[in-house]
Amino acid sequence: MIKKTIIKILIFSLVIFLTGCRDKQIPPELQMVEKQEINLWRSGAQIYAPVEYSSYKISFGNVKELLIKEKSRFAWFQDYQKVQSELRNILIEGNLLQNIISDNKKNMNDKVFNEISLAKNRIDTIKGLTEMINEGRLARKNLIKAELLLSEAIIRYNNNDYNTAEKKLNNLSGFIKASENAILPILNRYSDRNHIKKWQKMVEETIAQSKKMGIPAIIVNKSERTLVLYKSGVPAWTYIVGIGRNGSLDKQRAGDNSTPEGKYRIIKKKSESRYHKALLLNYPNEEDRKNFILAKKNGLIPAKSGIGGLIEIHGGGKNSMTYGCIAMDNSKIDHVFNIVSVGTPVTIVGAVDYNNKLSSAIEGL
Amino acid sequence: MKGIMKYLALIMVTIFLFAGCAKEPTEDINSAKAAVDTVKSEDAQKYVPEDVKNVNDTMQAAEDEIKVQKDKLFKDYSKAKELLAKAKADAEALNTNLAAKKEEVKNNATAAQESAKYSIEEAKGLLEQAPKGKGSMADIEAFKADLKGLEDSLVEVQAAMDSSDYNAAIEKANAIKEKATAISDQVKAAMEKVGELK
Repeated sequence: MIKKTIIKILIFSLVIFLTGCRDKQIPPELQMVEKQEINLWRSGAQIYAPVEYSSYKISFGNVKELLIKEKSRFAWFQDYQKVQSELRNILIEGNLLQNIISDNKKNMNDKVFNEISLAKNRIDTIKGLTEMINEGRLARKNLIKAELLLSEAIIRYNNNDYNTAEKKLNNLSGFIKASENAILPILNRYSDRNHIKKWQKMVEETIAQSKKMGIPAIIVNKSERTLVLYKSGVPAWTYIVGIGRNGSLDKQRAGDNSTPEGKYRIIKKKSESRYHKALLLNYPNEEDRKNFILAKKNGLIPAKSGIGGLIEIHGGGKNSMTYGCIAMDNSKIDHVFNIVSVGTPVTIVGAVDYNNKLSSAIEGL
Repeated sequence: MKGIMKYLALIMVTIFLFAGCAKEPTEDINSAKAAVDTVKSEDAQKYVPEDVKNVNDTMQAAEDEIKVQKDKLFKDYSKAKELLAKAKADAEALNTNLAAKKEEVKNNATAAQESAKYSIEEAKGLLEQAPKGKGSMADIEAFKADLKGLEDSLVEVQAAMDSSDYNAAIEKANAIKEKATAISDQVKAAMEKVGELK
């Protein structure tokens, strides 16, 4: 009797073990979804489609819960049909997500590429302007920081890390703005029509004087960096010149390194100068003195500052940056020196054309 | 009746035998969790993100398997144990690799930082040697402004180093070095120009 019972127990246990403990096969779609999820992650789903990826993960998580529930059941009662159907839906969702990631990546690529080009152009334009107006301090300090960030953004862009590249580009715009702010007050004078009209009038008067009196006259155009030597009102020779370190500004006081603007005349010819040869101008003239007093009164210049002087046209090289003088190549000053005389009119202006180099450059900003 | 009771008793004994044999592998879970927790650092995400994901996925698979077995009549934690052991081993391997990788990147970052500093100092030295003539004064000031901007940016390199963001530090240091070298070249050219003027 006992023997029979033991046999029955064994048979019963065996039946349960063979039928109840062997799980039904998990749908193969599970592995496919797992693989898909890794590929989506590798594609940067969390960066380029975070909302959709999160929704995808939630769907996958829900199916996993369902799967766990089914797997926990006694094998006889396991049914993976719903799980399989859900997994297939997730595969479709994943494929759509992959397309979204690709589209978003491409859009980001184009966007960042354009932003890099724009930033590069802006930096180059401002850099060019700083060189034109000799503004090499505040603007340059900020500009080089912008350049550093641009280099870093380009590296990130090349590594397909568009997000970080864009962050760096966003950061560099502040430095570009600071550079612009440093140079715009200097440049704005060159697009101011009233200023240009005033300069044009000064030039016309000087040429008319040269013509009327049959004498040479000199016109210095700061925006073009030219010195034109007129003979009896006719432009005879044009030379490239260097101007003051802050030459694009009108001289207001001693030590500002600006080149004065106005109607002057040669008061001394120096055949022996530290800069080869020099023609001393009558800066400050009457108008300069008036402006100086007014600027002091309005607090535009320090109360203790002097008006300055010793503004010359001299040799030393056309690429020189001076304290305010006009510099030209030695061979050219030799030629000018021989033609002009004490009393020769010298008119220095910012620009004579409304579309001058500096006004055009501002438009590029 | 006596027969039915006998069969019921048999079923009870059988269930007890199968269900009671397997216990939740608490010790394995705890030690795997402790190992996996160590790889959840920001550094690991930064330097070996895929390895981190693999470890986390394995741990998640182990936890899912435990959930399955918990609710089963006949529990079998052998697969869960395997997964837990793998998660633990992978996490430990990741930590070893991470330390080596971090050290390597850190050394590269330190070298890049030093190189950037040296390039700035070199450019500054050249500026000191440049004649302070009338013609070159503005150039020198412009270059000084550039170098000041680069020096300011060295602080950002150090900040990146301090926050263990060595890749960012390398990136910025290399950019600084490139710009400083370009300035040195321009200073040399400017010096030659001034030399010609004399």
